[in-house]
Amino acid sequence: MKVSASLPTGVAALFFDSARRHRELEGRLVKRLMDHGFDEVILPVVDYLDPYEEMPSGVRRDELYRFVDRDGQVLALRSDFTTMLARLIAPRLATLELPLKLFYRGDVLRYQQDRAGRQREFYQLGGEVLGAVGGEDGGEDGERAVLTEFLDLLAATGRRPLLVVLGFAGALDGLLLGFKGRLAYAAAAVVRRERRAFRDGAEALLQVVESGMPADVAALGEEAGARLGRLTALAGELAERFPRIAVRVDLAEFGDQVVAPELRRRLALRPYYDGLVFRAFAGRAAEPVGGGGRYDRLFQRLGVTATASGFSLSLDRLWEAETREDEA
Amino acid sequence: MIRLALPKGRNLKVALAAFRAAGVALADPEPDDRRLQMTVPLDGLEVLFLKDWDVPLYVQHGVADCGVVGSDVLDEVDGDLLVPARFRHGTSRLSFIGRGAEMPEAGQQIRLATKYPATARRLVQDRPWGAEILELSGSVELAPLLDLAELALDIVQTGRTLAENRLRELETVCEVAPCLVVNRGAFQLLRREINGLLERFEEARMVV
Repeated sequence: MKVSASLPTGVAALFFDSARRHRELEGRLVKRLMDHGFDEVILPVVDYLDPYEEMPSGVRRDELYRFVDRDGQVLALRSDFTTMLARLIAPRLATLELPLKLFYRGDVLRYQQDRAGRQREFYQLGGEVLGAVGGEDGGEDGERAVLTEFLDLLAATGRRPLLVVLGFAGALDGLLLGFKGRLAYAAAAVVRRERRAFRDGAEALLQVVESGMPADVAALGEEAGARLGRLTALAGELAERFPRIAVRVDLAEFGDQVVAPELRRRLALRPYYDGLVFRAFAGRAAEPVGGGGRYDRLFQRLGVTATASGFSLSLDRLWEAETREDEA
Repeated sequence: MIRLALPKGRNLKVALAAFRAAGVALADPEPDDRRLQMTVPLDGLEVLFLKDWDVPLYVQHGVADCGVVGSDVLDEVDGDLLVPARFRHGTSRLSFIGRGAEMPEAGQQIRLATKYPATARRLVQDRPWGAEILELSGSVELAPLLDLAELALDIVQTGRTLAENRLRELETVCEVAPCLVVNRGAFQLLRREINGLLERFEEARMVV
């Protein structure tokens, strides 16, 4: 009998050296997380679909692998660790000693069109810090601590050049709400950095798509402007502390992370981040190798008040970036 | 150095003209030139010549930092690319084409031939009629002409081919234009160079 060795689109098998290098990298990162006080959680790869229908999510509904089990339950393959962990831990949070530092590793599956050059199965490793004490700065101390953990982990991944981009959810809400034109078009144009959308009378948004922030931070409004000032200072501090990692602020990169209820409703978006957000790029790879941010809103939606921040790294993309660098 | 992916198809002329107008000395590849790569040392560019449909993939994977590709292809492949500019020249239309005088009636089930199956599926979702999508790789106009399909969804530039074959452009779906696409990682690393290139395009009035 002849058996084909082909696999479905978007998934891969690792053999020999590839598998060994993958596990070596994973082992190094896991050790780092455990040394920093993170405890491992092992989550199922299949879950009910129902609890996620109304939850904020970074995954579109049409990206889910859904199926009906033999007993009639509608199930979905794991598409995001953060939402799964939140729904499982939220009912227990009051009984646990806080803050909790948890990490996970495993595959997530998302349906992606095969032409776009994306995988459908990703191996992720990530950490979440729940219930950190906020202090007087609205929890920004906790956000900074999680970002520092992320940079520390990233620095341990290898020798390739790395870039981390920072922003915060809702930074552009005021500018988008003030845009004189179709809101959906403006929001999409920010994310795609389409300059022509903002040439006529939307100078601050034009500056954001060109250089990541407006020339005059006051254009964002008092609160967001002050927050941008603190974030820029933080980027400078972190760049000094992690010399191998370039750190910069770019608000356009997170243009879809809106907070204002009106924007979420009109744009039909349901992201869960509501504070600091960040993404890491390795070399010139188009897809970020990792990212994270603050997502108290997700817990609020589950009826629990708690600060929550986290991050994840895609081992596949890190490994791809490393392989490309070796070949170059 | 910026690595640029240029399409070998109908958008190549537009791209070359735009780069030249912006002061980047890109020469036309000779008809018998088999080179797949070209370096423009003065302008810090390395150029890859690729098939139109491959440009988004090369940029998405970071093999090229940026590229020129038609918005028709871009809409079809659903990548996560930055699209900072659309070129002023080389525009065309994505249209429904048929032999009859009218679009299908409400409730009618037809066959629709196209090179853009994902776009076609999205468009048909909002229509009062249904369609079986037939994916073709070329000469899409032949499908309604030879009764393979009632309608075709394809690019129309001047409409001459349609007129010569007794076909009609029944409905224009959208304007199609060559676009500059950039991958997110490259934009972050090469922001100054890419913004500089965009400003030169704007000064030369090559982009809208």
